Amino acid sequence: MKILVIEDEKELAQDMVKYLSNEQYLCEWVSEYRIALEKINTYEYDCILLDLMLPGGDGLSLLEELKNSNKQDGVIIISAKNSIEEKVKGLKLGADDYLAKPFHQAELAARIESLIRRKQFDSNNLIVHNELSIEIHAKTVSVHNKQVNLTKKEYDLLLFFMGNKNRVLSKGALAEHLSGDFADMFDNHDFVYAHVKNLKRKLREKNYGDYIKTIYGTGYKWEA
Amino acid sequence: MTRLLTKPLKAFAIYALIILLVSIPVYVLVVDYIWVNELDENNWLTIQHTKQRLQVHDLTADEIERINRLWGELQPGLSIEKAETKIAPADSFYEITRPNFYDAEDDADRFRGLRTYVMLNGETYWLIIETNVEEWDETFIAIAVVTLIFFTILILGFVILNRRITAKTWKPFYQTLQSLQSFELSKNQKLLLPSTDILEFQEMNKSLEQLLKNNMDTYEQQKSFTENASHELQTPIALLKSKLDILLQHKDISPEISEILAGIEPALSRLSRINKNLLVLAKVENRQYSENKPLGVQEYILSAQSLFEDYINDKELDVTLAIQANFKIMANPFLLETLIYNLFSNAIRHTPVSGQIHIELKGQTLSFSNSGKAALDITQLFKRFSSTSKDRVSSGLGLAIIKEVALKYNWSIEYYFRNDLHTFSVRF
Repeated sequence: MKILVIEDEKELAQDMVKYLSNEQYLCEWVSEYRIALEKINTYEYDCILLDLMLPGGDGLSLLEELKNSNKQDGVIIISAKNSIEEKVKGLKLGADDYLAKPFHQAELAARIESLIRRKQFDSNNLIVHNELSIEIHAKTVSVHNKQVNLTKKEYDLLLFFMGNKNRVLSKGALAEHLSGDFADMFDNHDFVYAHVKNLKRKLREKNYGDYIKTIYGTGYKWEA
Repeated sequence: MTRLLTKPLKAFAIYALIILLVSIPVYVLVVDYIWVNELDENNWLTIQHTKQRLQVHDLTADEIERINRLWGELQPGLSIEKAETKIAPADSFYEITRPNFYDAEDDADRFRGLRTYVMLNGETYWLIIETNVEEWDETFIAIAVVTLIFFTILILGFVILNRRITAKTWKPFYQTLQSLQSFELSKNQKLLLPSTDILEFQEMNKSLEQLLKNNMDTYEQQKSFTENASHELQTPIALLKSKLDILLQHKDISPEISEILAGIEPALSRLSRINKNLLVLAKVENRQYSENKPLGVQEYILSAQSLFEDYINDKELDVTLAIQANFKIMANPFLLETLIYNLFSNAIRHTPVSGQIHIELKGQTLSFSNSGKAALDITQLFKRFSSTSKDRVSSGLGLAIIKEVALKYNWSIEYYFRNDLHTFSVRF
């Protein structure tokens, strides 16, 4: 899978590339409007991460360019503005998602994963990980072909883990994923423990490979 | 408080009253003096005439007796009597008060008399004339009544004139006052002061305009500073967050380092929230959320409830809702969301474990009540960064944002502490 990161903040772009690059994703980074336009016109990407404030041009016009040339690349806007107007405008112009800065890398990874999954028309909407399979449309989970009944939050957590395999996920990132932008209104995210504990228990009951590991002090990790 | 122009009016009225009250006895004295003088003169003239006439006719004692009887019947004010003495003393004026036969209502009438002596046929006669004169007290009452009537007219005139003067001369002053009262620095409005031909008002308006211009400039600078600063801070915060995420992925992190890292995250998240809130405040102040639509308040409360569900369950809070459905309000979606989420999260944060939260939407009022121990300091409550509790996570801006949003839409915010419940209510 090819990902294009269009971001003028070098450090942030490098972090994204570092976090996302693995055997599955190949990341490219550009920081200028003109070069971004060239790349977009020349290649095809599975996902474009687009910062709207770029030197040399407006990120939104890149979106228009994509739309006009009938490109199917998925686009996630990453913006510092976090305004509803901008979000609506971006989504109207054909962006698939909108993520406000600052964000957790894990959140970005999960959004990319979800976007790419949606873009794959041929897929049967099934995520399979060894003995575990997730039916996206029906929102059902089964281990060894036996269905596991999860609450909505547990299901969301499982998908989040799936999008961040082998990554350490902090409690804050998990809380933010579950409660959205407003998680930072609270200082106590202990409820995350309860949800993860329940998820682990339910999966363990069906004998899954015990992939969810607790990392002392920081959070959790899905070890594949 | 007295109005500016009622103060001189009061002074004028009191002064007029004193002068008029003093004038009453003076008038009475003057009028009485004139009365008495005039009557004395009249009496004297009459008596001179009578004297002369009597002396011209050579009257006998009997005839004089008859004249006196006739006078007694026809003109009781005049009488002639024989005097015992031979020498003619000087004329004498006198005053007498006695009942009057014709005037039964009055117990006594005042008379002004003149007694003189006339020599007829070598005999001395008393010639007496008495004329009724108005009594003191009656003159006094008449003058007092007239004076008080005039006083009333005077005061009425003062009031009417005062109103006219207020309406005309002071109009620019009151217009200025009104514009100042409705002026709000945060509303970014222009102050329109009336033009006037009165020098003092002109100078006042000029000074006010200058003063406000300076204030507005400072305010603008402060606003744009806040907005620019929080914009600038966003990138470093984003970087810190991202670096922390990357750092967490390192293979060989010792438990000690891991604990330190775990301590960074909440602080960073708090920093991020403060910055976001500052930006929201700056944007609200800069009138950046102008697009309004009708919004269902209930939906926002329910979505906040489901979003905060975990935090509510974690603290085992008992949340009860009494919300009328279909209540709509014209507002910006983001701002209404911000208002409700802040009120809700505020209640969750400040409620002790196993406490209660009650949310009510009734009529035009939305209120969030939560259990607590003691009332909060209302003077500090809505100020920025004024912590009324030792809550670590509060950005210190939640209530300031609530107030700012309410201010924008002219909603009123109220806080009270009753029956061990903190209540924040918004009247739409």
